[in-house]
Amino acid sequence: MKNLLILTGLLLGVMVINAQSSLTAKQIAEKAKDISEVDALEMVSTLTIIDAKGRERVRKTSSASKKFGEQTKTLMKFLAPADVKGTGMLIYDNEESNDDMWIYMPALRKTRRIVSSDKSKSFMGSEFANSDMSIPSMSDFNYTLGKNQVIDGQECYEVISTPVNEDIADENGSAKRITYISVDKFLTLKQLVYDLDEDLWKEMTYSGYYLIDTVNKKYMAKKMEVKNVQNDRRSIMTMDKVQLGSSLTESHFTTSYLEK
Amino acid sequence: MKLANFIERFKLWIILGSILFSLAIGVAMKDASVDSNLKNFIPKELPSRINTDRMEEIFGASDPVMILLKSDDVLNRETLLRIKRITKSLNRKEEVSKMASLFTSKDIKGIDGAMVVDPAVKKIPRNDEQKEALRNTLKNNTLAYGMIVSENFKYTGIVVTPAKGINDQQLTAVVEAALEEFPGEEEVLYGGVPYIRKFIEQDINKDFGMLMPIALIIMLFFLYFSFREKRGVLLPFSVVILSIIIAMGLIPLIGWKVTMLSVLAPIMMIAIANNYGIHYIARYQELNAKHPNMSMSDIVKNTISHLKAPTLMAGLTTVVGILGLLSHIMKPARQLGVVAALGVVFALLLSMFFIPAFLFYLKKGKPVASFSEDKKSFLSSVLNAIADMVVKAPKAILIITAIVALVAGMGIFKIKVDSDSANMFPADHPVKISTNVINEEFGGSLNINIMVEGDIKDPVIMKAMDKVEQELDGFKGVGDVFSIASALKEMSKAINEPGDAFYNKIPDTREAIAQYLELYSMNGDPEDFEQMVNFDYTQAIVNVRVSDASQETTKAIVAKVNEITEGFKFDNSVGGYLLMQYDLARFIVQGQTNSLIFAVLAIAIMIGIIFRSFWAAFIGSIPLLMADLLLFGTMGYAGIKLDTSTAMLSSIMIGIGVDYTIHFMHRYRHQLSTGHTPAESVKITLNSTGRGIVLNAFSVMIGFCVLFISAFLSLKLFGFLIIFSILSCLLSAIIIIPALAIVFKPKFFNKI
Repeated sequence: MKNLLILTGLLLGVMVINAQSSLTAKQIAEKAKDISEVDALEMVSTLTIIDAKGRERVRKTSSASKKFGEQTKTLMKFLAPADVKGTGMLIYDNEESNDDMWIYMPALRKTRRIVSSDKSKSFMGSEFANSDMSIPSMSDFNYTLGKNQVIDGQECYEVISTPVNEDIADENGSAKRITYISVDKFLTLKQLVYDLDEDLWKEMTYSGYYLIDTVNKKYMAKKMEVKNVQNDRRSIMTMDKVQLGSSLTESHFTTSYLEK
Repeated sequence: MKLANFIERFKLWIILGSILFSLAIGVAMKDASVDSNLKNFIPKELPSRINTDRMEEIFGASDPVMILLKSDDVLNRETLLRIKRITKSLNRKEEVSKMASLFTSKDIKGIDGAMVVDPAVKKIPRNDEQKEALRNTLKNNTLAYGMIVSENFKYTGIVVTPAKGINDQQLTAVVEAALEEFPGEEEVLYGGVPYIRKFIEQDINKDFGMLMPIALIIMLFFLYFSFREKRGVLLPFSVVILSIIIAMGLIPLIGWKVTMLSVLAPIMMIAIANNYGIHYIARYQELNAKHPNMSMSDIVKNTISHLKAPTLMAGLTTVVGILGLLSHIMKPARQLGVVAALGVVFALLLSMFFIPAFLFYLKKGKPVASFSEDKKSFLSSVLNAIADMVVKAPKAILIITAIVALVAGMGIFKIKVDSDSANMFPADHPVKISTNVINEEFGGSLNINIMVEGDIKDPVIMKAMDKVEQELDGFKGVGDVFSIASALKEMSKAINEPGDAFYNKIPDTREAIAQYLELYSMNGDPEDFEQMVNFDYTQAIVNVRVSDASQETTKAIVAKVNEITEGFKFDNSVGGYLLMQYDLARFIVQGQTNSLIFAVLAIAIMIGIIFRSFWAAFIGSIPLLMADLLLFGTMGYAGIKLDTSTAMLSSIMIGIGVDYTIHFMHRYRHQLSTGHTPAESVKITLNSTGRGIVLNAFSVMIGFCVLFISAFLSLKLFGFLIIFSILSCLLSAIIIIPALAIVFKPKFFNKI
């Protein structure tokens, strides 16, 4: 579970760089990755999970995340629905090893660690998988460039990433991912995720990009949506309030603070 | 002579018309399709069917294939590897929507204060130590132990749920291909509703392909040995063939589908359709032998006028009896009633018009030897002996009859009802074997489902579901009970330490329940609970797996379920296959009783009208009542249960069996009117008409004999029982009726 990293990784746009036609697929993906990370962020977001019949489950959370060395730590609290209000989560996103994650349940006044290693697992019961929400390790994938496409009126690179071996494919539950990155600003506009049989599985779109960091010229999408074409479920995540930077110190990102 | 002249004049039209008409209807056979879904035996209006349909709509149809692998120890590396490969391969097939096996079932556990949700088998053990560790883990996993792996570790299951729009043939083909792709030492059994349907469909086709030709060949031989003349074989036989074509063509023409019970339609035609034609041929042969000077035209005309009344009577009583099937609640039984009744009507018309029309075209044949007086056949000596016995000791016969009736009648109280569809198959049938394993090792193959509606996260509802589980767990016949409440308790065990107030307990607040589930959603699949609770937690199911689907056990379980749910203050409904079957069985008894009363009354009234006497109606129904007592008494003593097939016995038997009584009473009255004493009349009747009656009854019994080789156990039993009851009807008609006539000398016999 790499909540905030996800957001920083995928939602933040990329610095405007003059498009260079000679960029390789990997370079394009790398640019998108390298310039998307911010050191700290606080926000309120809404996750809406919609089933095939149009019924909804809504989760509203507030969160803060901050980078401490190589570790990104995230603190998250549920605001809604009422029955889980106050439930808190603490996530240590480790670069090389599995994430550490704790959940605090106010009704039980207990904090419990959650063990997670499977990146193909669902994120909070939504159609987003953990692997959709984090920036993959560049060395795990091969990148190739397809033909440029126009997405939402913007010209995009088509970057096709495939896992370097079957274990990584199994871990991610996906054999192929096509990412459309805008040529002018390196914003990720759309992703197509294919399952292990290379059948289209999920369609993800990112919209409402705006400049969040004027100094470093970073962009962030206000909305990301995933549609699972195999079971017709959808999930939508909207960033309601976003603030760059965080006043929290490392001592706030602990289980004892979680329980407060 | 009017009818005879009409037939002679229009003989060509009658012959061509009959053939063309049956072919026109028979063409519809090309559109026939088989319906193997046993659910369609259950009326749509039945509350348990309505509830079950609704649950299936919400939680998806639960008709998965169950692959069972048997091995000395399924935790063997090779076996587990095979399961893993099969699971992975099938999971990728587009025909498959969901899989469950040791590698997909969940193991919720707490490790060092963390809740971990893992596959039941995360890693295939490499040595004995790891293997035993895995065994212990599985023993503690209520989601897998006794659910996906048997408690003795000899069986493990792979459950394959089809994707939308995939039919049984496609699904079973994919499943079998996967097992062939990854071969192994394990014994493989296939089970589950798709396989039951597939086998039923196969068996229906096999029955049609096997039974009909064999029955027809037997009938050919029977006709040949009875008449020893080409026309005597071919004419009744063509009536049989044309009636079968009509009956089978009618099914798709009306818009119905071929079911297991439809197998009976052509067999009934083979057994019944030639009954009337046989009398025409017998009469023609009799006249041909006794009156060498009569012209063929006169012989046929005499035959027509002599036989029209008894033929019509016998035919109509048969039709009325068969129409008793209409009072059954099972649609396929009612459909069989309509199709068979129309088939018999057509056979009756063919016998009355087509056979004589054809005879008009033929020259006189050689007189058949068996009619010469001096040659006593075995049959006539038996009939003579019966006649002597009846005349000598009619009272003793009636006393013995009363005793037999009493003893048989007591057997009726022992009769049991069986609605378990698995019992339609013989013990060595693959469906029966896999069903037994599922019953013994995996909690049971049939379900009762309790659906609760409201705020499922409300502790009141969650605790109520838990209560259902607690009270039914260990109840006789119940294999397993499962709901979101037990999953929640598993979570409480993973999160809390033993001794903790929250450990293995449904929490007291809605918040705590919601937070458990939220915690789970961080770790498990969103689809894990799909079959237990709906998306917005407003409807949930308690699944009760039952390993003993007998009527008595089911009754107790249903009563217990009703007792528990009665106190619920929120919406709830009970459904599931087992409940539908249970309800169906109750209606089978009802249908059997209704159709029995209807058939006996209707036929008694008809006999009463024919003989213009109440006593005739009463005496005429005695053989039917006697045959019913013997039939159900024997079923009671022999432990043969009433099921979907045997429930139709009495309607069919009564319709056919009454003919013998009518024929006897008709001829007996004739003999009295010519001045004979009752004793003389009995002897003459048995020696003349008696032969026709016995031949008729044996042709019916021989026709039904072929059911012994049916693939369905219940049709085999049906075959045995119908033959047994036709025999009782026959014996009653030629022994009890004459005894009654001699002892009581009813007046109606003297009226003409």
